[in-house]
Amino acid sequence: MIHLEQVTKKYRTDRVETTALENINLTVEKGELVSVMGPSGCGKSTLLNLMGLLDEPTQGRIALDGKAIDRYGERALARVRNERLGFVFQQFHLVADLSVVDNVEIPLLYRKMSNKERRRAALAALDHVGLASRVHHFPGQLSGGQQQRVAIARAIVGKPSVLLADEPTGNLDSQMGDEIMGILQDLNNEGTTIVMVTHDPRLAERTHRVVRLFDGRQVQ
Amino acid sequence: MMRHLLKLVWNRKRANALIMLEIFFTFLVVFGVGTLGMYLWDNWRHPLGFDWKNVWVVQVDMQQQTDDTFTPEQVETTARLAREVGSLEPVEGVAGAMLSPYSFGGYRSGMNMNGHYLEMDFDQVSEGFAGVMRLELVKGRWFEPADAVLSWRPIVIDEDLAHEVWGDAGPLGKRLGDPNPKEPEPEMRVIGVVRDFREHGELSGPGNFRFDYKQLGNPKYRPPRALLARVRPGTPAAFEEELTRRMQGVARDWSFKITPLEQLRQTAFRRTITPLIVGGIVAFFLLLMVALGLLGVLWQNLLQRTREIGLRRAIGASRQEVHRQIIMEQLLLTTLGVLLGTIVVVQLPVLDVFGSALRPSVFVSGLVVAMVSMYVLAAVCALYPSAMASRVQPAEALRYE
Amino acid sequence: MLRNYLKMALKVLARRKFFTFISLFGISITLFVLLVATAMLDQVFAPQAPETRADRTLGIYQVTLRGENSTFNGFAGYGLLDRIVRGLQQEVPAVEKVSILTTPNDVVSYVGGRKIESSLKRTDGAYWQILDFDFVEGGPFSEADDANARFVAVINESTRDRFFGKAPAVGRTFEADGQRFRVMGVVRDVPILRVVSYSEIWVPISTAKSRTFRKEYFGNFMTVFLARSRSDFPQIKEAVHRRFRVAEENIPDRTMFQTIDGGADTLFEAASRVIFEGGRESRPELLWAVFLGLALLFMLLPSVNLVNINLSRILDRASEIGVRKAFGASSRTLVGQFVVENVVLTLIGGAVGLVLAAAVLAALNSSGLIPYADLRLNFRIFFEGLALALFFGLFSGVYPAWKMSRLHPVQALRGRTV
Repeated sequence: MIHLEQVTKKYRTDRVETTALENINLTVEKGELVSVMGPSGCGKSTLLNLMGLLDEPTQGRIALDGKAIDRYGERALARVRNERLGFVFQQFHLVADLSVVDNVEIPLLYRKMSNKERRRAALAALDHVGLASRVHHFPGQLSGGQQQRVAIARAIVGKPSVLLADEPTGNLDSQMGDEIMGILQDLNNEGTTIVMVTHDPRLAERTHRVVRLFDGRQVQ
Repeated sequence: MMRHLLKLVWNRKRANALIMLEIFFTFLVVFGVGTLGMYLWDNWRHPLGFDWKNVWVVQVDMQQQTDDTFTPEQVETTARLAREVGSLEPVEGVAGAMLSPYSFGGYRSGMNMNGHYLEMDFDQVSEGFAGVMRLELVKGRWFEPADAVLSWRPIVIDEDLAHEVWGDAGPLGKRLGDPNPKEPEPEMRVIGVVRDFREHGELSGPGNFRFDYKQLGNPKYRPPRALLARVRPGTPAAFEEELTRRMQGVARDWSFKITPLEQLRQTAFRRTITPLIVGGIVAFFLLLMVALGLLGVLWQNLLQRTREIGLRRAIGASRQEVHRQIIMEQLLLTTLGVLLGTIVVVQLPVLDVFGSALRPSVFVSGLVVAMVSMYVLAAVCALYPSAMASRVQPAEALRYE
Repeated sequence: MLRNYLKMALKVLARRKFFTFISLFGISITLFVLLVATAMLDQVFAPQAPETRADRTLGIYQVTLRGENSTFNGFAGYGLLDRIVRGLQQEVPAVEKVSILTTPNDVVSYVGGRKIESSLKRTDGAYWQILDFDFVEGGPFSEADDANARFVAVINESTRDRFFGKAPAVGRTFEADGQRFRVMGVVRDVPILRVVSYSEIWVPISTAKSRTFRKEYFGNFMTVFLARSRSDFPQIKEAVHRRFRVAEENIPDRTMFQTIDGGADTLFEAASRVIFEGGRESRPELLWAVFLGLALLFMLLPSVNLVNINLSRILDRASEIGVRKAFGASSRTLVGQFVVENVVLTLIGGAVGLVLAAAVLAALNSSGLIPYADLRLNFRIFFEGLALALFFGLFSGVYPAWKMSRLHPVQALRGRTV
């Protein structure tokens, strides 16, 4: 499904060159639930950004469904992100000035779709995460766990094949974290491939496979 | 997408209301200046009706303060003055008038006509006036000396007046004004129609005009306050001194002031255009201020929304889509401000504030100027910030702090 | 403490150059327009040389004669004014001086084939005592010159230069409108907008070409009274009002006109009488309202703009506020910081506007666009405008800052939504 080959990522500021990732080889198969672990600054988020096509590797190649993406243009990348990938962030990143259902609809706005269909898909996604009763609330009126569920609904509304989650429970207490993890597992059971960055070993235990990073290198 | 943007604008109404208010006020300012400019431009394109080149105006001051009284001697002296001026070599023709074109102020008269109130500017002129001013007669005839003994008052009117009163029917021989039993006066009858006569010049609005007859040397009429002389092209300014001397010779105790009509025209022009230029400069600075302000506010708003923009990019909006969305948002906001402004300015013709001076074509073009300027202003102000915003790297924007 | 605030404010303003520039631009341009507009108004109304005693001067400027079918609106004739002022000083000792004068009349002279156009005012001897002309050479003509119809004149500097070059002119003669006058004095140029004092040539009333004006009710005359003090105004106005009623009884053409509206006004009252088609009363408060309304209307847009910019500036610094609070700054110190920032900004903007206005006024004065313009800065308006800018600045900058400073630092620091 996702294939990273000899991927290296370097950040360059005026004088300093930092290596965020070095020689990563990683394959995520369809239907897998993979967690990425490691201490702060080890390159977890960089890895996720590369897999999410938000960033380009300095060296190496990334393939999605067997197609190398390094020859994609900006517009094509946006299209792939929109149709095949879903994102969940630690900080939820909901738009404060839009209601829950409007937030969930955002990815569909960049597709050709009627207003009605869009609304139906958004409501279905919210139902899926158990928030059908909160569709007209604003993010500020929800608890952290609820906000993250909205973010998950937004990530899955476009029916992506891969869900990328960056510390989805990092801002939540453990009970809410369990809840969110449960939702992700359910999604995985329904066939969605999930890659999740976390530093909580308890959550990592509940995934099929753990990728450990240390200082930009894959440890095992 | 439109609905989504509308919601976004509406839900941010507190921040947007002020921007909208600013656009609304700016719209009003641009509309005011634009409409005034369009009004003058429209006036400028209409025919003037006379030829101001090579005409000199002599203001005759009989050194008497009251207008209405005059003596037969004064009438005779004025006629002698006109003859004296006409006898000089560079002068091609002389005429008397109460007021020269491009004067400040004017004579206005109102009367009932077929039960409606009718207003017009008028002047009393001698038979030489049409030749000196090169009026274009389109119907009937101009005044002639025999008109002084008629039992009714002959008048020549301009096409505007003829059209307003009689429409497409011929006005010749018709009576102007309803009979007034309280003040029986000789009736005014139309003997001719001229193309147009806009005594206040190119920048004045079109209006009705009427000429009454005033025969020089006839004690029935008050002597004219101005003599108009058409001189040969290229007559030197030094001829003024001789003209003054000759007239002082005829009437020692009177005062004369000679001004080329061209100079009066320039003065009148400046009088009209100066307030517009000052207003235009002030409006320009206001506009510049607003443009910079909007630019700053938008920029700031977008900076605050970096993460939102990053998010939109992450979940699949391309650069162009973000770019377009932000410009659309701004245009939407502008539309609201412009809509509000339009509702306000539409009251002007609805409530008939400026009457016929605000012609529909002028109003509409002023409105269009204001609308287009507002959209251009908004688009220009949004262009740079939205370009900056669409360049946001989603990975950067969403990196957690 | 204040020094710290100031230092910090300057640093913040320098860091956010674009916003600082926009705010400064708005404040300075607005104040600039305000200052130039008031300089124009002051040129008409304020006590400026030679009308230095304008604050204790009243005048009868325009009158309205009304009849059933006719209305005359304009300057009075000599006959009407003479009837009103004759014996006024004996009746009301508070009237120190009375002068009758004409509006400036355009006259033409020819000097060696060259045409010279000038404004000519006819007046009497008292005129020179009510007004404070600055004589470059010679002196004014006297009561006796007027009584004996001597052909003498006072001219301004520019007219002297036009007729005689830069050479001294006293004792020399010139011709204007077919009459020959001997120069008695030369005064500094007077701005064209001063109704009472402006002219280029001043000659005695009695040199007028005809005599008929002495009885007329309409004409181009006005009169000014110098009161002993401002507190005498009501008394003088009252006496003039009574005399108008007597004059009404003696209108020469009673069949045409029956009433006269007019009175002893200050310049401002006279302007409002003209603008509002003078009833029996002048309505200065109405004219005030118009000027104030125009000024407010003009300032509306800049104010909204300033408020907008300020709000953005503050919102931009939400996280800064959070950090400062987290490190123990109190709400009061934070608000203090914003107050100082806004005050500094407004003062700099004001200074720029002031310099700009001074430069433009100086350019206008020397350009000759307005003849003999002597436009000056009005510092009262400057400070009022500055106060207004400060008000909007504080209102729009400090209020949201205060609200934000009350936020919990964690909330300010961590925006959970985008």
